[in-house]
Amino acid sequence: MTAGKSFTIPVGPLHVALEEPMYFRIDVQGETVNAVEINAGHVHRGVEYLTTKRTIYQDVVLTERICSLCSNSHPETFVMAAEQIAGIEIPERAAYLRVIAAEVKRVASHLFNVGILAHLTGYETLFMHAMQVREIVQDIKESVFGNRMDLGAICIGGARYDIDAEIAAYLTASLDKLAPEIDTLEQTYRTNRSILRRTKGVGVLTREEAIACGVVGPVARASGIDYDVRVAAPYAAYDRLKVPVPTLGDGDVWSRAMIRLIEVRHAIQLIRDCLRDLPDGPAHIHDRPDIPAGRAVTKCEAPRGELIYYLKTNGAPEPERVKWRVPSFMNWDALRFMFRGAKIADIAIIVNSIDPCVSCTER
Amino acid sequence: MRLPEDIAAQLRAAAPSGVDFSSETNPRGVTVAWAGLANREELTAVAKTMLALGARLSMISASLPPLPPEEDEEEEEQEGDGDAAAQSEAEPPAIPMTFGGTPIDGTSYEIDYHFDLGGDTLTVIAYVPSGGAVASLTPYFRTADWAEREMMENYAITIRDHPDPRRLFIDPAIDSAVLERLIPYSTLVNAASTKALWDKVVSGKGGAS
Amino acid sequence: MNFLSLFTRNLRQGPYTEPFPFAPAPTPKRFRGRIAFDAKSCEGCRLCEKVCPSGAIRFERTPEGMTFDCWHDTCVFCGTCEFYCPTKSVGQTDDWHLSHAQDQKFALVEHGLIPNQICAECGAKALATAPMTANVRPPYSAEEFEHARALCPKCRAKFLKSRRKS
Repeated sequence: MTAGKSFTIPVGPLHVALEEPMYFRIDVQGETVNAVEINAGHVHRGVEYLTTKRTIYQDVVLTERICSLCSNSHPETFVMAAEQIAGIEIPERAAYLRVIAAEVKRVASHLFNVGILAHLTGYETLFMHAMQVREIVQDIKESVFGNRMDLGAICIGGARYDIDAEIAAYLTASLDKLAPEIDTLEQTYRTNRSILRRTKGVGVLTREEAIACGVVGPVARASGIDYDVRVAAPYAAYDRLKVPVPTLGDGDVWSRAMIRLIEVRHAIQLIRDCLRDLPDGPAHIHDRPDIPAGRAVTKCEAPRGELIYYLKTNGAPEPERVKWRVPSFMNWDALRFMFRGAKIADIAIIVNSIDPCVSCTER
Repeated sequence: MRLPEDIAAQLRAAAPSGVDFSSETNPRGVTVAWAGLANREELTAVAKTMLALGARLSMISASLPPLPPEEDEEEEEQEGDGDAAAQSEAEPPAIPMTFGGTPIDGTSYEIDYHFDLGGDTLTVIAYVPSGGAVASLTPYFRTADWAEREMMENYAITIRDHPDPRRLFIDPAIDSAVLERLIPYSTLVNAASTKALWDKVVSGKGGAS
Repeated sequence: MNFLSLFTRNLRQGPYTEPFPFAPAPTPKRFRGRIAFDAKSCEGCRLCEKVCPSGAIRFERTPEGMTFDCWHDTCVFCGTCEFYCPTKSVGQTDDWHLSHAQDQKFALVEHGLIPNQICAECGAKALATAPMTANVRPPYSAEEFEHARALCPKCRAKFLKSRRKS
C-alpha cells in the first residue's frame, strides 16, 4: 500500500445520505478520512426575518414549517414562550394533548432515521420494512391531525385538536399494531450482523467530546450524557408522566440507533399513559389574547434533542425578535470528532447517525 | 446541577461594574434567569464563572432593538431592563439607556447568551453600541463558534478573536449585516399577495402569470 | 428478522401500495384539504383574513356586497382560519384533488359573496351577514336570529338593547 497523498473529495451538496443539501469537503488518505470541512447555507431561507413580518399568531404556523420532521416541536416551544410572556395557563387537557402530538412525531422521526440507516448499510428490505411500519404512524397523523407531517396541533393557549372516543380507540388500535413491530425492529438492530458490522464502533463520540461540543438529544444520550429536557425542565404534562431516559456509553452509530429505537418504545407507552390520564375539559383557552411586551426563553425536547426559543415582544402584534437554536446545530461540529479514522464508506452512515436536519439548522 | 442559590452574587463577583439580575421559577421548578451586564468587557469573566459551574452555552441571540416608540404622557413604557429616561413635553425626549449606559436608539445591539444548567436557563446580556465589539467565547465554549459566525453575518457586530470568522450560511458575495438591511418585503418574497396578483385571482382568469 | 423472513412475509402480504386511481384512496375524516366557505353563516368579522399566515384569504367590498376569496395556491392548509372562525363558516374539506396545470393556477379559488340588503327597519343599505351571537344573553331564538339578520348593524344594536330591557 502506498503511503498515498491526501485527496479532497466533495460529498454533497446533493447527497447520498441526506434529502437536504450540505456540502462536505473531506480530506482522505487512501480510504481513511483525515479532516472534514462543512459548507452550509444551501437551504437558508431567512425564516428569522420572516417571523418578524408576521403576527405572533401567524408565526405559530410559520414556525411549524421550519422543518417537517420536528414540525410540532417548533410551534410548541414558540407558543410556550408567548404563553410565558402573556402569563397564559393552558388547560390540563391541552397539556396532555400536546404530549400526545409530540410523542407521535418522535416515533415517526426516529423510525425514519433508523430506516435510512438500514438503507445506508445496504439492507434495503429492512429499510422498506421500517418505512412501512412508520406508515402506521403516518396514518395516525393523517387521521388524528389531518396531515402526514404538519400536525397543526398547537395554538396559543392550548391544543388545536381534540380526541373523542372514536379517535382514542383508533389511536389505541394503531399503537397495538405498532408496538410488536417496534419490538421486532429493536431486536433486529440489536442482533443483525449486517447492521452490527457497519455500525458498531463507527463514528465514536466520547463523553468528553460530547460535553465540549454541547450536543443534545439521542446523540448525547448515546455518549453517556443523561439529559432530557422533558425531565430536566418539564413542560406540558411531562412532570406528571414517567419519562425514562435511556443512555448508552459507547457513543457510536449503533448506540445512537438503539437509543432512538428505545425512545420509540417509551414514546408509545407515553401516548398510552396520556390516553389513560387524559382529563376532561377544554382543549384550549377561549379567546385570542394579545401578547404584551416582554421576553421569554423556553425549551422542549424535539426528536433530535433540546430545542430552545427566545422570543422578544414589544406589545405590537408582530414579535420584535424570534431566535431559536435547533438540536442539529451542534451535531455538525461533533461530526469532526466522529469522522476520526472513519472510512469513506462510513461517511454517509455517520452523517445519518446524527439525524441531521439541515432545514432546521439553516432556517 | 442546576442554577445555584447564590448565582447573583457569583455573577456580581465576576462583573463588578454591575449586573441587572432577575429570575423566576415556574410551578414546575424550572428557573429562568436574566443577567444584564453593565460592562460588556466583563463577559469573559462571567463566561469563566459559568464554565466553572458546568453550564452549557445553549444559544446566542443577537438582535437590534428598535427605537422605542414615543411614550404617552399617561403611561410609562417598559424598556427591557434599566432606566427609561423620563419624558416631558417641554424638552426633547432623552434617549433611553440600557443598564450600563448603551443607548437604545435603534443602532445598538443586544447579545443574549443563553446558558443551560441542568434544565435551568440563565441568559447573560451584553449590550454593544454601534461599531462596538465583544470578545469571543470560543476559548471557553465550543458551541459559541457557529453561533458567533452567524451573528457576524446577520449584524455588523465585531467579535474579537474568533478563530474562524467566515460566513456561515450566507454566500460571501452578499453584502454583510443582512438583518440590518431594508429589503422591501415584496422583493424578498417575490410572490404571494401583491395587488396585481390578487386582481388575477379574484377575476378568476386563468393563464400563466 | 433476517431478509428471508421479511421476504416471505411480504410475499404473503402483497403490495402495501394503494392501487389508486384504480381503487379509491381512503381519506380520513379529519384530512385538511380544500377550503369551503359558507356565506350564509358568515358574520363578516374577517378574523380568518387576519390570522391566515399566508395571506390567502381576502375580503373585498364590492357593489354587490362583500366577497370572500381564498386562493389555494397561497393557502398552506394549516386550518387556522377554521380554528378561529366563530361560526365555522370557513373550513377545510377532505378534498385533496387539487393538482392543476400551470395555466389553471388562478382558477383554484374558493369564492363567496355576502350580499347587500336593505334594512327591514330603517331602509339603510347593509351587508346580509349573520348576526353576531358571541355576547347575546339570552341566546337568540331561531326567529329572533332571522329577524336580526334582516337588520342593519345600527338596528341590530337597537334590537339587542330593547331585548335586554324587556
